[in-house]
Amino acid sequence: MVNLRAMLPACNTKGELPVLQILNVYGDLLLTAMGQTLLLALCGLFFACILGLIFGLLSVVRNKVCNLIAAVFVDAIRGVPMIVLAYFIYFGVPYLLNTILGIGGVMLTALQAGTICLALNCGAYMAEIIRAGIESVDRGQMEAARSVGLPYWRAMQRVVLPQAIRTMIPSIINQFIITLKDTSILSVIGFPELVNTAKNVVANTFMSFQTWAIVAVMYLVVITTLSRVAKHMERRLRYGR
Amino acid sequence: MAVNKDCVKIHVEHLKKNFGKLEVLKDVSTDIYEGEVVVIIGPSGSGKSTFLRCLNRLEEITGGEVIVDDMRITDKRIDINKVRENVGMVFQHFNLFANMNVLRNLTLAPVDLKKADKAAAEENAMKLLARVGLADKALAYPSQLSGGQKQRVAIARALAMNPDIMLFDEPTSALDPEMVGEVLEVMKELAREGMTMVIVTHEMGFAREVADRVLFMDGGYILEEGTPEQVFGNPQNPRTQDFLNKVL
Repeated sequence: MVNLRAMLPACNTKGELPVLQILNVYGDLLLTAMGQTLLLALCGLFFACILGLIFGLLSVVRNKVCNLIAAVFVDAIRGVPMIVLAYFIYFGVPYLLNTILGIGGVMLTALQAGTICLALNCGAYMAEIIRAGIESVDRGQMEAARSVGLPYWRAMQRVVLPQAIRTMIPSIINQFIITLKDTSILSVIGFPELVNTAKNVVANTFMSFQTWAIVAVMYLVVITTLSRVAKHMERRLRYGR
Repeated sequence: MAVNKDCVKIHVEHLKKNFGKLEVLKDVSTDIYEGEVVVIIGPSGSGKSTFLRCLNRLEEITGGEVIVDDMRITDKRIDINKVRENVGMVFQHFNLFANMNVLRNLTLAPVDLKKADKAAAEENAMKLLARVGLADKALAYPSQLSGGQKQRVAIARALAMNPDIMLFDEPTSALDPEMVGEVLEVMKELAREGMTMVIVTHEMGFAREVADRVLFMDGGYILEEGTPEQVFGNPQNPRTQDFLNKVL
């Protein structure tokens, strides 16, 4: 093993600590990978917010068909592990289109498939957060808004949603953090995010302890920073009351 | 101002309302005239509030006919929002918009529904707030007000749409005793000005003083109606007698 490591020109010399050697040689690569992780998370979250809002609203309107559609979506996504969803979207769907249905030339990039996968997964949880947030607003608020003549959606937009969002924000930020961590699952479809890249680094260096420690710290720093920002926002909203 | 018997503001005929299998309103019919103050009394669960909430269709109506301002609100095709613009409602729990200050509470609907531009709506709102004695609270948020203040703002909010009819759903039931008076005072003032009012309340003294007509409801029916003198002084129905014995 020592020999193998010595064969790699990047990681042999000068009696440096192995961690520093990895950082020297693969630091840029890992940082780029972290950037890819954040890019994937942001893309996923963007569409997750849209999906969450749509399905969250579908589950609160007084219409049985809409409620059912929302419930089926949430249950279906929550009932399937994300890794299965990832394989299904990246490999399964193009196979269905190309081979079974004969619509040629459909290919998804890993970023596209990963975004869809995160958006669906996080979107289902966001829908639940938004539903719960809207339901937490006293029914009298909607009734009062309707009683002065505001149409349902206007009342929702002016009175109910602004109040619901306040109670939703902590859960939404929490969901953002979970989604950011879930990007690591998408290493299985070959997207060059942090975990996937780290695997390659380990394959090159065999220094799994050092590499994974670096990766863990990188996640830790980003996520802790995010939660701090979240705490700060929460506090500001509370004082704003 | 006197009751104008030539102008029916609210016509209710064989109104029925079920919640699932529970029949809350079984058969309610009455006419409410322009400028009339109608007070509805009765034990809890008698359908008073449900009746009131049917008048602006906050509750879907199961059967019968309700005509408000010549609009048949039991007809699904009617634009209920248009009717509601003309029918103010005051709730037991105030229901002020918690995310807006008092002024915005009053101007939201007039501005959003293009009844007035922002400046005109704010001017009108300030007048209304002065009328309920709360001009100095225009920039306060609902959470900073006392119960009595909240309810007076709620009345002003309903008036901001300049309605012909006002519905009051137990407006003083959630108030501390010392705040009941200030709210009733505002309501009396409105009654004197000739507003058509339908009030569900447990304030019997108030009912006696301001009502043109008192309706006693129980079990989903109007069991007795008449002037306050008739209903409070000489009730005919044994259920009315029994109820009044308990509350007076």
